[in-house]
Amino acid sequence: MVNDEGQLYTIEGVAAGMIMLFTTYLVLGATSVYTPGDTHISDMQLEQIGTDALVMMNTPVNGTVKSNLTEIVETSRINATAADETFNTTFLKYVNERTGSESDNLHYMADVTYRSDLTDNSITSYQLACTHNRIMNAGDHPVRVTEWVIADKQFPGSVNHPRAVLVEVLLWRD
Amino acid sequence: MARLNEDAQWIVLMGFVVSFSFFFLAMILNQSTVVGQTTAESVVEFPKNDIRDVRNIIINSSYITDNNKFAVIQQDITTLSLSRKGAVVSYSVTHPTGLDTYTHITIHYNNGVTEYNENWTSS
Repeated sequence: MVNDEGQLYTIEGVAAGMIMLFTTYLVLGATSVYTPGDTHISDMQLEQIGTDALVMMNTPVNGTVKSNLTEIVETSRINATAADETFNTTFLKYVNERTGSESDNLHYMADVTYRSDLTDNSITSYQLACTHNRIMNAGDHPVRVTEWVIADKQFPGSVNHPRAVLVEVLLWRD
Repeated sequence: MARLNEDAQWIVLMGFVVSFSFFFLAMILNQSTVVGQTTAESVVEFPKNDIRDVRNIIINSSYITDNNKFAVIQQDITTLSLSRKGAVVSYSVTHPTGLDTYTHITIHYNNGVTEYNENWTSS
């Protein structure tokens, strides 16, 4: 500096600059950039809802009876329509329940996978149930939730053996 | 610029301040995306529900005392875990013998990223 004039103006200028920068910082901080990696947040919530619903269905009311889900899987070997009905009602009731009168809009597709050949360990899946008025479209973004079930009814490849089968549910919101 | 022309020093000063601030803001913004990505990946990769689920069925299956029936279920769990979940699951159950009145289960789970081992004892 050649002379000492205008020092107060300079300080004021610097202060104003700081305020402007701080404002910019606040504005930028208030908005968030939604990156592709952030989709996991909604996915995780959906996965948790689905897992919770399946765990609830697979919890027996006491130690001597079978769980809802076990009975549905066992029924599905004899009467697929009845199993589909029961699963559909119970599962949709659990996942679509929300505070207030409006229900959520989740849809699903449920499969059962089992080991079909005891010697070469090949596996087979069949459809257990699905949302009745909907099919999965290309734009839907489903998550997969699973639940293990020990079922007593006959699965091919064994006689009078309880079997461990996997219930897999694709769940999506629209 | 000193001594040559002393006009517009204020503008030059603020120019420096603003350009440096932009530089740092850009750096922070750049890092936030990377951090989000890695967090997302580690969250998605960790098979929390898979482990809980398979642990649950393994403990349930230990109540089947018939050896033949147990072997079938054990093979079911191992095969389905490998083919539908891409996880190697191996476990063994030791039923109460002699003075030891507890059931012991050794569980091994490995999906290539996460490894989980447990010695479970009934209470």
